[in-house]
Amino acid sequence: MNKLPRIALGLGLAGVLIGLAACQQAPQPVETPEATTDYCARMVTNSGGLDDRSFNQSTWEGLQQAEKTLGIEATALVSTNETDLSPNVQQAVESGCQMVVTVGWELAEATATEAAANPDTHFVIVDEVVDAPNVKPLVFQTAEASYLAGYLAAGVSKTGIVATFGGDAQPPVTLFMDGFVGGVAAYNAAHGTDVRALGWNAETQQGSFTGDYEDVSKGKTLAQGFIDQGADVILPVAAQVGEGAAAAALDNGNVMIIWVDNDGFETLPSEYRSIVLTSVLKNTGTAIQDIVSDDLAGQFTSDAFIGTLKNQGVDIAPYHDQAVAVSEELGAEIDQLRQDIISGAVLVESPSAL
Amino acid sequence: MSTETVLRPGWKVPIILGVFSLASLLLFLLSGRQGISVFRLSSSGEAVQLPALELPVMASGIVISVLLIGLAGFSAYRVTRAQRTPLYVIVIFGVLFMVGLLVWAFVDATLPVTGLLTGTVALSAPIIYGALGGVISERVGVVNIAIEGQLLAGAFTSAVVASVTRNPFLGLGAAMIAGMLVSFVLAAFSIKYLVDQVIVGVVLNVLVLGLTSFFFSQVLSEDKQLLNSPPRFDKLPIPFLSDIPVIGPVLFNQTVIIYIMYVAVALVYYGLFHTKWGLRVRAVGEHPTAADTVGIAVNRTRFWNVSLAGAVAGLGGAFFTLGSVGSFQKEMTAGLGFIALAAVIFGRWDPIRATLAALLFGFATNLQNVLGIIGSPIPSEFMLMLPYIVTIIAVAGLVGQVRGPAAAGKPYVKA
Repeated sequence: MNKLPRIALGLGLAGVLIGLAACQQAPQPVETPEATTDYCARMVTNSGGLDDRSFNQSTWEGLQQAEKTLGIEATALVSTNETDLSPNVQQAVESGCQMVVTVGWELAEATATEAAANPDTHFVIVDEVVDAPNVKPLVFQTAEASYLAGYLAAGVSKTGIVATFGGDAQPPVTLFMDGFVGGVAAYNAAHGTDVRALGWNAETQQGSFTGDYEDVSKGKTLAQGFIDQGADVILPVAAQVGEGAAAAALDNGNVMIIWVDNDGFETLPSEYRSIVLTSVLKNTGTAIQDIVSDDLAGQFTSDAFIGTLKNQGVDIAPYHDQAVAVSEELGAEIDQLRQDIISGAVLVESPSAL
Repeated sequence: MSTETVLRPGWKVPIILGVFSLASLLLFLLSGRQGISVFRLSSSGEAVQLPALELPVMASGIVISVLLIGLAGFSAYRVTRAQRTPLYVIVIFGVLFMVGLLVWAFVDATLPVTGLLTGTVALSAPIIYGALGGVISERVGVVNIAIEGQLLAGAFTSAVVASVTRNPFLGLGAAMIAGMLVSFVLAAFSIKYLVDQVIVGVVLNVLVLGLTSFFFSQVLSEDKQLLNSPPRFDKLPIPFLSDIPVIGPVLFNQTVIIYIMYVAVALVYYGLFHTKWGLRVRAVGEHPTAADTVGIAVNRTRFWNVSLAGAVAGLGGAFFTLGSVGSFQKEMTAGLGFIALAAVIFGRWDPIRATLAALLFGFATNLQNVLGIIGSPIPSEFMLMLPYIVTIIAVAGLVGQVRGPAAAGKPYVKA
């Protein structure tokens, strides 16, 4: 009897230790190659971590690309919860690097504080605006791209009902939803149809949210609720919770999803490839590379970089397997609409726009 | 049903029921909503097609409100006779009130009844498993705060094992082992080393969260195709039963994990209250000294039953991955282990009632979903509170004071 708990404790801890030993060999993605200049950059993630299939990941990929092409040195500081944010930014600044990249609105306060204390360090904050002479905000007019996605969704929907939902009611999220609903309305106006967009009311700014970005089952049941109401194209704006919508769509057949931030056809598990209609892309990586390159050339400014269709900061992804669902006329209309938004003939409006 | 001895039933229950029935009446009279609510009882793919119910809002509202007032009156009558309000009255009241609310909310819209209930089962499943684990563990005298950790460990391990072996059943087994490993640590510290059980549980939750997040970003993301793309369980309709309208698709067109859940609830209930094993478990949890004197090995009983509790909770973790979406995600249990803990207490340490509590929470969550979809005038932030508000009202208003197993949380040291 006496031995039992000890054996148990041993078993439990052994599992943990084996696991820890195993990661000794695990390749460290934050490892840095040799630097060819003495320029270095530090990136601080929000609590999503580096593999969030969202802005942390794309920002980091941009910096890694800059390491290769521009010969800089970059390291990521991963925050696992809210209390890590401010110490991580501090640590990034103390590394003495010329550039500190912070990702997400949660880091706004820490970035502003450190930027004021260290006027010689250059900061970039992704998806948020901080007003300081040495902070460059990197934001995206995602409504422009999701407007195209909404138009497309309305065009391919067979039931005449499409849907969108978000993780929570934050401006970067509702911006997608405003654009989507606007695009559906534009399709209806152009074709005299009556396609309904569920899940978001652009006038009252009220809609459907899962309330968190973790519980994938919530995304699945919410998406199923939309499907029960007849929706056959769904745009989830909820990071990994969106994968629940993909699972619901796959279970039902004849339902497609539109992924956000990156090309879902590439980043989602391969079983979901057949149901990805398109994705609303935010090209954070390319933008970060451009900013680093400007900074190297001594041209850093605190003017916000606003990703638009015009500068290709945002766009929609290729249709991949679903190209058959998009008729030639519809594809041409989308291309025309893209040109109209770029030229300013069509205005995409959202209270969340910057 | 009631074995508790309450001397004077208070006026709390009839007052709460009265307030809700008046609220329902006022809702229908003052809002002046006219129109028809459609309750869709069958979806297109089913064998037996029921016609959709078309309920005129005002008339149904008044009928329902009158029935509610009647039930509140019955409850008050019972109190004057010094009798408790039976549970079935409260359940009927709750269901009627909900139907009334739905009729009001879905004016000129269609409510897919099966969708609402199927989603409820899906959202409740991990909570039910977690609550069963909690019931077993606490009944034997060890407070199980680590349900969240057991769920998460189960979700993680089942995803990895099922993905590598391409066999979801092996993943299910692995989830049970993972839950048990977490339980081993809880049991060893609380039984052998007499550490405060609440503290061990909290620490375990943080440990499992940290470990799984670490492995997720450092190991799983290296080769997602090999390590984190498990096959999911297919839906397995049970012949005949799945053809019953409404109930069939909701209960009998599910995955294996859900069927195991039905069996688990029944087994735990029967085992706890109708077998020798259950008697021993409860004796150890209520009065370990007495159990010891009649020759029950207290600490061994506690140890193995806490391990069993971990295995059950681990199964619930597998639902997140193999039963729902497939791949593991960081922090994907999202605090449901703590809701399961609340369900244990709300359910008065009884497996059936804890299951009902979990179902109530799942229902409120999915109700919030369907109300949001048809566009409710209530801001989404408030809508998201709905499941929690319902739980608070249910716990505080209808359950009231509860008493757990007397020796839960106290380590047993032989004098």
